[in-house]
Amino acid sequence: MDEEEEQRQGVWSWGAGTDGQLATGSLQDEIIPRFIRSLSAYGPIVSLSCGGAHVIALTPGGRVLTWGRGTSGQLGHGESVSSSQANVVKELEGFVITHVSAGWNHSGFVSETGAIFTCGDGSFGQLGHGDSNSQLYPRQVAYFASKPVEQVACGMRHTLVLLAGNVEHPVYGFGSGKRGQLGISTDNVKSTSLPQITLGLENLKIISIHANGDHSSALSADGSLYTWGRGFRGALDTYIPCLSDVAFPVSKVALGWNHALLLSREGDVFMLGGDRHGALSDPQKMPSTADTSSSAGEPEENITQIISGPANVKVVQIAAGAEHSAFITDNGSIMTLGWGEHGQLGLGDTNDQTAPQVVCLDRISAWGDATPRVYCGSGFSFVLMTRI
Amino acid sequence: MSYDDVEIEDMEWNQELQAFTYPCPCGDLFQITKEDLRLGEEIARCPSCSLYLTVIYNMEDFQENSNKKAEPPKPQPVAVA
Repeated sequence: MDEEEEQRQGVWSWGAGTDGQLATGSLQDEIIPRFIRSLSAYGPIVSLSCGGAHVIALTPGGRVLTWGRGTSGQLGHGESVSSSQANVVKELEGFVITHVSAGWNHSGFVSETGAIFTCGDGSFGQLGHGDSNSQLYPRQVAYFASKPVEQVACGMRHTLVLLAGNVEHPVYGFGSGKRGQLGISTDNVKSTSLPQITLGLENLKIISIHANGDHSSALSADGSLYTWGRGFRGALDTYIPCLSDVAFPVSKVALGWNHALLLSREGDVFMLGGDRHGALSDPQKMPSTADTSSSAGEPEENITQIISGPANVKVVQIAAGAEHSAFITDNGSIMTLGWGEHGQLGLGDTNDQTAPQVVCLDRISAWGDATPRVYCGSGFSFVLMTRI
Repeated sequence: MSYDDVEIEDMEWNQELQAFTYPCPCGDLFQITKEDLRLGEEIARCPSCSLYLTVIYNMEDFQENSNKKAEPPKPQPVAVA
């Protein structure tokens, strides 16, 4: 990377690092944001997707870089080894990749032309190739050869796909469906290795899909949120997408393993599920066998507003790890809360936080008034600062 | 407090670790060995953090002289309702 590129983008990472997911070149956890000198020789990173312990980065030309845990082939380099340094996915050169998603141990890539590729762990059929094999190189999902794809979302053991354009059935799912996370049947479908239609979203204009843990969600153009899969905070699992009864139009969604973050169009953040930061802080959590609190099978959704500071401070971006949350405010602050045992909150310690705390980055002054963007993997976090 | 309750059939047998595993939110894996299960242990621990899982299983399935195979059924390749 030349000096000019280096000045255009700053990258910081922190949290769990034992699989090389922080791209620091070492396998250490970092409890404060660590400035990463060089990530891309192909220009500033456009966006990141962080999974269980690996990361997928998109460059301006639609190239893909990966690093972190690679033991199931999720890095797409044709081998099952981890890497603490970013490497370009050569198998995808020749395609302009426009959307990527990193799951627990698998990866999805969507090209400009609507082709979708998957690699990594396929044990539950989450790669969509009709078998339970793992793939060390990105392999095109043949099922979508004549159905152009726009987005992919990879969860712990499942995958969601959003088709391009206006179609009757916009969303498909494959992989594990044990908790209802595929939304393909009112029956308990253990798993499917071939894509199936996610029900209940017929003719809706879906603008984004999300998957993490055993949760799934989709956001429609009018700001309606649909959720399915594992119930939040001990609520029953939902086998068909269900319109969430939030009282405001939602503009962005981020899912954890036990919580969802919702960003309203007014810039307020709400949390669905755990009243502070997921199940870890919920002393009321009972064994699943005793989940009788949700009366009459009604999914019990606890929505809590997260106060990010003075009333005039608005949130512009959100991200969720398995058990931690991060967001960016309109004054450029990076805030985190939730589980902190691996330093994933970036606050210099390993404490949990039930209220948002401001994360300090070193060398930040060099990026002037550029707006940071934050991304969370299971137990780690990344920030990108790009000068426009 | 246990992070979650997981049935043994939802755990994966890891040949390298010689243990049943389940994803931990820290990025590592909760682990429990067949010997643990034979002894009636129901806590699967993560080597990287303080979290642990409660494993739901039938102890009889893991006794020495049981005829049953201890490994859980492999995920089916095609849709099964």
